[in-house]
Formats: sequence, structure tokens, C-alpha cells
Amino acid sequence: MQTRKYILPFLASVLLLSCKKFLDVEPQDAISDDNSAVITDKSSAETATRGLYRALSADAYYGSNFVSIGYLSGDNIVWTGSQSIIQQFISHNVRADNANIASAWSSIYATINRANHIIAKVPAVTDPLLTQQLKNQFTGEAYFVRALGYFDLARTWGGVQITLTPTITPADKYGIKRSSLDQTYNQVLSDLVAADSLLPTTTNRFRATQKTAWALRARYHLYRRQWADAETYATKVIADSANYKLVQPYSAFFANNATATSESVLELSYSATYTNSHRNSWQPPANGGTRQWAPNDAFLSLVNDPAIGGNRSALVAKTSAGLWYGNLYYRSPATDPAFVIRIAELWLIRAEARAQLNNLSGAISDLNAVRSRAGIPPSEAATQSALLLAIENERRLEFAFEGHRWYDLVRTNRAAAVLGVTDVNKQVLPIPAGEVLNDIDLEQNKGY
Amino acid sequence: MKIAIISWIVLLPLFTYAQNQDNITLSGVVIDAQTKTPLPGATVHIKNTTHDGLTNDKGEFNFLTGQHLPITFQVSYIGYKQAEITVNQRTGIILGLEAANTQLNDVVVVGYGTQQRKSLISSISKVNASGIKDIPVAGVDAQLQGKAAGVQINSNTGVPGDGVFIRVRGATSINASNDPLYVVDGVFINNTSLQTVSTGGRATSPIADINPADIESIEVLKDASATAIYGSRGANGVVIITTKRGKFGTKPTVTFNTSHGWAWAPQLWDLTTGPEHAEIMNEFYRNSEADAIAAGDQAGIKKYAQVPFRPVSEGGRGTPEEQQTYDRLHKLFRTGLLHNYNLALQGGSPTNKYYIGAGYTQQQADIKPIDFNRASLKFNFDQKVGDKVTVGTSNSLYRSFRNQARSGDGPQGGLLQSALHTPTYLPEVNPDGTPARYAGFDNLDVLLNNYDVNTTSLRYIGNIYAEAEIIPDLRFRTSWSLDYNHYDESEYWNNLTQLGAAPTNGLATSALTQNTTWINEQTLTYRKTLNTVHTFGILVGNTLQSNIQSTTSAQGSGFPSNAFKLISAAATRTSSQLWSKANLASFFGRVDYNYANKYFVEFSVRADGSSRFGANHQFGYFPAVGAAWRLKEEHFLKDVSSISDLKLRGSIGLTGNQNGINNFAAQGLWSGGAGYPDNTTSGDQPGIYPLQLSNPDLRWEKTRQTNIGVDLGLFNDRIGIEVNLYSKHTTDALLQLPVNAISGFNSYASNAGVINNKGYEVAINTFNIRNRHFTWQTNFNISGNSNKIVQLPIPVTYYNRDWVRLQQGYSMYSFWLYKQLYVDPQTGNAVFEDVNKDGQITVADRQIMGSAIPKFFGGITNNFTYKGFDLGVAFTFQYGNDVYNLNRFFGEGGGTRDANRVLFADQLNRWQKPGDITDVPRVTAYGNNYTLEQNSRFLEDGSFLKLSSLTLGYTVPKSITSRAGFQTVRVYFTGSNLLLFKKYSGPDPEVNVTSLQNVQGLDLGTAPQPRTVQFGVNVTL
Repeated sequence: MQTRKYILPFLASVLLLSCKKFLDVEPQDAISDDNSAVITDKSSAETATRGLYRALSADAYYGSNFVSIGYLSGDNIVWTGSQSIIQQFISHNVRADNANIASAWSSIYATINRANHIIAKVPAVTDPLLTQQLKNQFTGEAYFVRALGYFDLARTWGGVQITLTPTITPADKYGIKRSSLDQTYNQVLSDLVAADSLLPTTTNRFRATQKTAWALRARYHLYRRQWADAETYATKVIADSANYKLVQPYSAFFANNATATSESVLELSYSATYTNSHRNSWQPPANGGTRQWAPNDAFLSLVNDPAIGGNRSALVAKTSAGLWYGNLYYRSPATDPAFVIRIAELWLIRAEARAQLNNLSGAISDLNAVRSRAGIPPSEAATQSALLLAIENERRLEFAFEGHRWYDLVRTNRAAAVLGVTDVNKQVLPIPAGEVLNDIDLEQNKGY
Repeated sequence: MKIAIISWIVLLPLFTYAQNQDNITLSGVVIDAQTKTPLPGATVHIKNTTHDGLTNDKGEFNFLTGQHLPITFQVSYIGYKQAEITVNQRTGIILGLEAANTQLNDVVVVGYGTQQRKSLISSISKVNASGIKDIPVAGVDAQLQGKAAGVQINSNTGVPGDGVFIRVRGATSINASNDPLYVVDGVFINNTSLQTVSTGGRATSPIADINPADIESIEVLKDASATAIYGSRGANGVVIITTKRGKFGTKPTVTFNTSHGWAWAPQLWDLTTGPEHAEIMNEFYRNSEADAIAAGDQAGIKKYAQVPFRPVSEGGRGTPEEQQTYDRLHKLFRTGLLHNYNLALQGGSPTNKYYIGAGYTQQQADIKPIDFNRASLKFNFDQKVGDKVTVGTSNSLYRSFRNQARSGDGPQGGLLQSALHTPTYLPEVNPDGTPARYAGFDNLDVLLNNYDVNTTSLRYIGNIYAEAEIIPDLRFRTSWSLDYNHYDESEYWNNLTQLGAAPTNGLATSALTQNTTWINEQTLTYRKTLNTVHTFGILVGNTLQSNIQSTTSAQGSGFPSNAFKLISAAATRTSSQLWSKANLASFFGRVDYNYANKYFVEFSVRADGSSRFGANHQFGYFPAVGAAWRLKEEHFLKDVSSISDLKLRGSIGLTGNQNGINNFAAQGLWSGGAGYPDNTTSGDQPGIYPLQLSNPDLRWEKTRQTNIGVDLGLFNDRIGIEVNLYSKHTTDALLQLPVNAISGFNSYASNAGVINNKGYEVAINTFNIRNRHFTWQTNFNISGNSNKIVQLPIPVTYYNRDWVRLQQGYSMYSFWLYKQLYVDPQTGNAVFEDVNKDGQITVADRQIMGSAIPKFFGGITNNFTYKGFDLGVAFTFQYGNDVYNLNRFFGEGGGTRDANRVLFADQLNRWQKPGDITDVPRVTAYGNNYTLEQNSRFLEDGSFLKLSSLTLGYTVPKSITSRAGFQTVRVYFTGSNLLLFKKYSGPDPEVNVTSLQNVQGLDLGTAPQPRTVQFGVNVTL
């Protein structure tokens, strides 16, 4: 009886004391972000930067979803699957509840958030191993990726909300109004300028370097119709012919499991561990895909025409049952790279910029560089307008399954004539319905 | 644990029984006072002594006692009223018992104890296992359908051993679990599927591991006064499963049961024939061309200029009449075989009791190649050590083996996508003899011949306890429990299947998941009656619980040939590992008091600390109070003979919920696993990324439940009625709250939302006829629950295409659709409701329509016995729930999906000419007729009435069986799902494609529940 009196209080106090420890359980495959202690040394800075590229290469971004918006909304693809959210792009009737735009939107902003973490934290890290040079490189890469993120947002949705700080709490990013299209593009430029000054001058096809920033800047000025700048920056990259050249034939940059050929200015890398689901939508069932979408008849007749497609016919293939399918993404394991910027694009950017600047001979020689690689005769375009049309058509084939066609037709105001999208409101996509619902400061685009 | 078991084995021989006295012998028999039949197994107790005994199989008892005449016996027997009979003789004593016609005198298992039903304050449904154990579904949860008031149960698939939808008094949570807590012999067992491979949306049920044949009884605890003792675990109800144990002082009995039968799908889908399909496609082209011309769409005019089904000579697919019809469904569906064997031995000495059970079950689904096999071994043992201490153990070992397949969503490897969704006119082989594949689906023959997905679940559930009477009426109990599950999955897709086709060349996955829960629990109970009228009990206790779940998986592709199946033979190999842990520390107590069995009050409280929450919110406190008034004991009812019992009950209390959320949900985390190369030669290097936002304020979800109830017994308890009204109000609902995507995140774990459930339950149990030869008993229950999301910061959608939406002011499981009002008889165009009247149909016109929550549901069971025959007929019903028929959504595509999807026979009802009245619009590629997904046309009434089981048995007369050495022999027939009355156009309205908890009633490629017949025999030795 006497001992019993003490057993219970004793047990209770032991239990209470050990309770706190008992209830403290930490994960083993993640670390706490307490005290913003994540990016603190060289190792964490470099791993965070790699994580940034993995965001850029996510399925919903450059892996497949975002890229597909660019080509599905063009005129090369037919939908064969069951999900009519794909058909919405092809028929230019995208609804705000389309799941693909929602995932692309959030994937781009997730990438931007990772970049913001690096930009905010890496310069302040004090670790002797993290040299100023490395700090500049990581921060420059983050500026570059953020520029690409806002560029993609701007060309797809127009002016968007701009956030330049890492998100720490859920409330951080409320109360931000949409910026105008100009403001958004200005952010892209200022990030590109910052990246230019920080990035190394080396060549790295998987990561951003100064030359990658120049290449994106060439594209940026093209979209902004700043022809002289576009020509300047395209030339800076093309001039490095030791590192960047049009590989022969066309298929050499992707066929036979090629990676990181000198065609690529920026190419995102995948592996057996980090796969790219893109092939699944393209390859036919016989090759283990779904062939959700496929080249349409109009495109097939172009690409298979030796005088138009030339050796770019390697982009398509046919099953034994006679089904045509796109064959740019085909690998197993699914390691098809995402081709973000190829040197061919810079040739065509310069061609277009020169044509706009009325340097027709310069333009045509740039255009013919790409045509000659495709194994087709030189262009016979004689006037500025004929040349611009020839460049447009060249881009349609050259980047058929990369995300360019829709944006090209929109930026050149040709979407109405070519695609029949006469409603200018439909030349930007709707902001995802769920986001508009969730954020009162996010205004829906007109007409949706 | 190991040490405990070893020491227990070592100590066992020391617990010897020694008792020898010089006494008188008392002998007699216990009989049914009405039928005069002897009652074997009745408990006979000599009042004011410790003498207990059980009657033998002839109803006889024998005592050696030092007591003197007259002697008062207290006799009790299940289903009979307890009697106190004083006798003045030593031999030939006849003790007659009156049958108790209701469950009132039942002993009901409550949290940490038992109570007699008549003194119960709380709302508890008890289900006797013998009535349901022959229903051929794998899990006991599915067997409960229609048996317990307030408990909605839907199997939702014909795949045996898959998860079951179960809601006790409605759904209270959005992101935390809505499943009840399962307690088997005091062990909180895991009921979250460990499945990691895809089977097209659904997941296996861990409850299916348990062999129903080992179960003695099941109690479902529903109101707060019953569940609050389980605190954080109790908000969704508690299912207490008690397994069979032997009885002290009984001789060994062996029971053997086997049954065999067949299972098949009673109905399949009606599809168009090849010619019908072709005709509709041609009509689609003709209409689309006309619409293209009207719209001036040059591309469209060109595209639809020629119908596809024109003569081959013209470059077409052949005329409609030339089309063949290929039946794939009947290749896929089959008559599955059911086999079941159970063997048990039970008995006991005066100081110990034991139950040993072994079982084997094989259930083939009605769809190839799916099956479920379970072998089980059960060992329960209790040993008295002296007068004051009892130690015991419960042990169950299960091995569940499943051949699995993807039946539901997803094209690759999907059985029903391949068999049901492929157009009927398409042949199964190409002209060159190779298997034909369409629309991203696998070839059905290839699938049926090459499916190789299987899972083996090895599971141990057990505990060991010691219970001691420290001083009279004060008992201490300590127990250690373990639920260990080793879950081994493997998938192999050879190069004939789409997933393994070249260039992948075979794809294999192997995943090992281990789930370990250990529990240590102490309770101290004190129960005392003072002055014969004041009875009170006190319970205090604590529990420590720890759960670790880990998965190691590997994947390989690139196999030399189909003969190589192990990942070690693969060219490319990847692997991953997951580990997660959660701890829970709890303290609880309960005080109850009753005055003269007339007034009852009870108060309980539990404090739970969870490692899942932030440091300031780890502990939640869950109190409950209940009271009951037994009016029958009042003098004004004492003499009203027609009313045999009347009790009013009420309770209010708080329970919590934290199950189902991520173990580390409150923490802000950066994760690894985002590697990327540094340059073109480095290969992947490690990378990290921000995984989730922290929420240090994350805390318990709380449900306040009030319950009032009446228990009424009429005509000597021949009619028993139980009525309950309840309200469950959930606040701080755990929710993955969407956050604006510009933050870089999609959602974070938060407490946001208020959910309300209100409902009623009525259970009526009657003995309609009871005489010597014939009995007829009816159990009926009906319940209704209305669910409402009172508060939700922003609407949340689920499933692709956002078919399901949770929105403030509506019930959960609601669909979010465009409402098709009618098809214009003049134009044939579908007219949709333009909610915002802006003249166009946009997202703003989608509305919440219908809900998968039934207005009411229940069951009625009639049991008859006539001499040796017994007949049980059980119906279950559900009314007012909606099902969204995604099969029809795909199958009534009007031709927009061309050769990629089947056309259902319903498509034949399409509008064709002005004046046609139909809800199936004109087939065309233009307008909204077939391009608006989420069309309300596919929302259907899911009400049903089902003959869930019918059992006819015959017990061979003792005179015959005893000659062969058997105690009893019973042969029986059981049929399940024999009748199904429904409005739903698909085969089975009890369907759901996914195991996502917020999606219910979405039908896509789900195998319908089978109709079964079985024959069996029970033998007792």
C-alpha cells in the first residue's frame, strides 16, 4: 500500500518529462527551414541552385506542359486522346479551369520562388569555400532562371504579379497587383542584365552562362521588337562558332540519344532518376506511349516535302499500322532533353531582326544557314514581307515540337490570319480559375 | 516485446492450479423455461461465493462446495435474462431461464471495458459476427453494410480486398481521415492502405487482412460519450472488434467450416455494335461538315468533307454494314471461384482458456485476373495466476496475397479501359497478326495473358497483457501491443504490354513497405456498489503509441527478354526510400455513477499529445459527459406491463482528429531529391528545394458531438426500439489550404473550415414469432445524415477536370458541373443553364449539383428458424445519392473521340431530326453538345435496394450427428447481391474510381460487385 502511493505519481512524472522528447519527431529526407537556415554554406548554395534547374525542368514547366502550350496552340498538332483540355489549345478556346494552364502557372512561380531564395540568401553566406566567383555564378544563374520565368509568364498571360522575395509564410504573397506587360518585361530585362554581369563566360549547355543570358536576351528583344538589340545579342552567341553550330543533319541534335550537342545553347538534362514525361504524349502505344497528340495532316505534308521539310522529316515517324507520330521525344528511360534555346533559333532571330531592319541580304543568309542544314534549297524570298513570311514558315518547321509556334504568331500579330484567332483577348491565355478565386488581387484576363 | 514473450513462456509452467476441499456436490441442469431445452454453456454462479461454472453440452452442471442449503444460484446465458433462483436440494436441480427477447441484457464492449446494454449511456451499435461472416467479401468492414444504424458502408468495387468507404455519422474532415478507428482486442490497428503501385485509382484495405471467422463481435461506438475516451482518435467513430477466446472450464471443441461458390457480375454495359458505331460516326461527320459550312470554317469543311466509314475502295474504313462487332467485355469478365476454410479449437481449464484458429480464403473477382487469398492463424490465450492476476495474449498472423490489376483510371494497363472503352468495331489483331492497340490502351488479350502485378501482405497483430486485482474492486492492467505489416509489392510489365514495350523493354517495380505500430497502455479501474444503490466506477490510464512507416522501392527497365523478371537483370535501375514516424502520448480518465440503475451519469476526458503538431499545440483535450434516465425503474412505469423498458439518454463531448495528415505537416521543410548536373559531364549531383511551408499553429481538428436517444422495449422486450438524434460540429478542420501559386507553393496544412453533420438513427429489433419450433426475428435500421460545409475559406476541387468541389454552404462529395437543361427539339443542341446570364457558357456557369451522400440508408434483416432450418434474408438500401457516370461520359462522346472511344448504346438515342425529344444531343464537333466536359447529363441517381445476403441452413438432428461423433453439423447455402434494384444505368451504383477521400461516387472502369452463391458446411466436434 505504501509503495503503491508513490508508484503512480512517479510513473506520471517520468512520463510527462519524457513526453516532450517522445513527441519531437523529425523527418529524415528533408530538413527544417527554421531560422531560414537552409542556404548557409557552399554545399547548400550549390545544391539549392541545382534544385532550381530541377524546377525549370519539371513536367509542368519545360518537361512537357508549358512547352506543349506553345505547340498545341499552333497549327501542327492534332489531338487524339480523351482529355478535351488538350483540344482547348488546338481550337483556341482555352477555359480558365484548364488543368494544364494551372499546373504550368504554378510550376513557373515555384521556379521563381527557388530563384528568389538563391538571390536573397547566397550573397550573404559567409563560407570561405563559397568564393565570390561561385556566389556570382549561383546568383547569376538564379537571375537568369527568374528572367526566363517572367518571360514565359509575360508571353503566355500578359502582365503578371511580380514577386522578388522568397516565400516564408503562406501570407507573404497576398496583396500583390498584376504588373503591366511592360513592367513584367522590364523585370525580365533587369534580371538578364544582372545575370549578364554575374555569370561565368564559360560554355555550359546544361546551365546558364553569360552566353545563355545573351541568347535569351536576343529572344527577349525580338519579342519586344527591338530589332537592333536582337541582332546584337544573337550575333554575340553566333559568333562563338567554336562552341555553337548548326549540327548536321537536323536530327543530329536529338536522334540516337544525343545530348548536349553544339546545337544546344540551353538544354535541360534528364536521367533515369529524373525522367521527362514528354515522350508519353507523343509516342504511339506500340512504343509504350499514349500518342495523346500527333502531327496533323497539314504539318505532315509540309515536313515530308523534301523541298520544305528536308531532313527535318526525322521529326515524324510512322508505326507499322500506319499511324504518324512525333518523334522528337522518344527515349527510354525517358531522358529526352528539353531544348530551351538552340543555336538555330539565334540564326532565325537574327534573320528576322535583320529583315525588319531591312538588311535583306544579311537576313537571307541567316535564314539559308538554317535551310541548308535542313537540306533544302536557299530561300527565294525577295522582299521584306516575303522574307518575314519565309522566316515564319521556317520557324514553324524548325521548332515544330518545341514551344514556339503559338508565341511566334502572337508576337508578329499573325494569329488572326494564320490560326483564325481574331479575338485579341484569346491571344493571351486565361489566368487559372483557381488562382483568381484564391487571390483577390489577381485579375482575370479580359474575355475569360 | 520479445523479452516479454519469452518471460511469459518461461513462467507459464509455474502457474499451476491446486485446489482441493471436502465439500458437498450440487448437480442439475439449466433449461429454457419455455421450450424446456437444455442450455449448454450457461454460466452458473453461487451467490456470495467465488464459485463459477459452465453447463456442459447437455446443459448440466456440477459443483463441489462448502456452502449450505438453501443455495441461491445466479444463472446467465447469452440471449436469456439473468435469473436468481434459490433451491433447497442437492441433485436434480432444474434452473429455468426466460429468453431475453432484445439485446437489452447484452454485454456491450465499450472503450476500455464492457457494460450491459441496459445501463448504457452512449450510442453503440453491436453487430453479432455470426450473422455476417458468410458474406463473401474480404473485409469485415464491407460485411457490416446495412447492419449498424448510422454507419454508411459502400464497397464501391468488385475487387475483393480493396478499400471500403465507411462513414460513421457522416464525414467530418476534409484532409484528415474520415475513417473510424479500428480497435482489435485493444490494439489500435492501421487501416490506411500501404499500397504504392497503381491499380487505377483504388487501394487495398488493411482491414481485409483480418479473418472474419475469428471475430466474436463488433461494436461501433458513435456518440461522444462512447468515443471521447479515445480522444483524438474518436471523431469518426470507433469500431471495436473482439475476437474469439475460449471459456474457463470448458472441454475442447473443434469447429470446422468450409464453403465454396461462384462470383460473377450480374450486369455489364450495353455498347453499340460495329455498324451502329460506324453509322453514328458518319452522322457526326455529316453534321460537323454542315456546321463548318455554316461557320465558314474552311479547315473544318475540309476535315469533315468525307465520312470515315465509306467503302475501302474510296479510301475509307468500309461501309457501316461491313463493320464487325468484337466483344471484349465477355473476355474480361468471368465466373470467379470462392473457397473458404476455417478450423478452430477452443476450450479451457478452470485457470486458462484458449482459442486457436486457422483459416484460408480464396476469392476470385468477377474480372480477370484479379483475386484475393488470405491465410490466417490466430492464437488467444488467458491464464489465471493465483486469484488476483490474469495474464494473456492475443496473436494473429495473416498473409494476404493479391493478384492485382489496373481496372479504373489510366490508359496503360487499364483492363476496363481496354475492354470497355475500345470501340467495338476495332479488331483485336492487326492484319499482320500482331495484337492491335488503340487510343493508348493496351491490347486486352495481351493484358489478360501477361498481367503480373501482385502483393503479399504479411501482418502480425497481437498483444500481451497482465491484469491484477490490487485491492478488492481495484484492477490494474498493463498491455503491450504490436501491429506489424510487411507489404511486398511487385509489378512486371513485359515487352508485350504498353508500359514495357520497346524501347522500354520490360518494366519492373518492387516495393517493400513496413508499417510498425507499438502501443503501451496502462489502466487502473475501480468499481464499487455502496448501499446497494450507488454504483460508481473510475478509470484512469495512459497510452504511448509510436508508428513508423517506411518504404524501399526499386524500379528497373531494359530487360534482356521476358524471361528475366528481377530488377537485377535490368539495364536501368532506380530506387527510392521513404520513412515517416509519428508518436502519440495520451492520458485518459472516466468516472461513471448510477443510482439504483435508474439515473446514470458518466464523465470522461482524454489528453492526447501528437508529434505532428507544432510545439505549442501538441496536446489536445477531449472531454465528454453523458447521462441517462431509466424511466422503467420509476414507480409510474413499474406496473405498465406493455412497456418493458424505457430509457432516455443524452451526451455531449469533444473528440479530435489528426489521422491522415502528413506526419511532418506542421514543419517548413526543404527536401532533397532535386538533383541536376553541374555540366554536361558531371551527371546528376544532389539538389534541394523548398518542399512545404511551415504552420507552427497547426493544431487538432475538433468535433463537438451531441446525442440524444431513447431506448424503448415493448411487450416483454419483444420489440426493441432505439432512436438517436445527433449533431456533429467540426471546427479547425485540417485542410491543405490552397495558397496563391505565386508564392511558389500550392497549399499548406492548416486548420480552416467548419463542417456540420446532423442526423438520425432508428433501429428496431423485433421477435415476431417465437415458439418451440419456429422463430422469426427482424432487425431493421434506417439512418439519415445531412452534411454541410459551414465554412471554407475558398472552394477546393478534386480529381482531374475538377469534377468534385468542396464549397462553403454545400455538402461534401458534391459535383461541380455544367447543367444541361434539355436538348432543343428543333436544333438538337444541348441547352445549358447560363447561371450568370452573360450569354455564354463559361466556367462561371458551373454549379454544384448533386452529392454522393445519401438522404437515408439502412438495412433490414429477417431471420427464421424452423426445427433444424435457419433462413436469413438481409436487404440493404441507400437512397438519394448521386453518381457521376464517367463511363458514360466517355461512351457518349457523340463521335468527338472518333476511333478512340466506344459508343454506348445510349448514344443511339441521339437527336436526329427536328421534333426528337431526347437528352442526348445532336452529334457534332461544334458547339457545346459534346465539348463541355462536366456535363450534368451524366449525373445519375445512385439509390439502390439490394438483397445483400440470403442464407439457408439446415442443422442435421443431433440423433444422427452424435452417432457419427459430431456435436453439430450444419449445411448451408449463402447468396449475396442476389437482387439489385437501381435506377443507375451502369451495372452497379456502388462504385468509385479512386481512393481519394474527398471523391465519392465517380464511376470509371470499376468492376461491379459480384453476385455470389456459396455452399458450405459447419461441423463441431
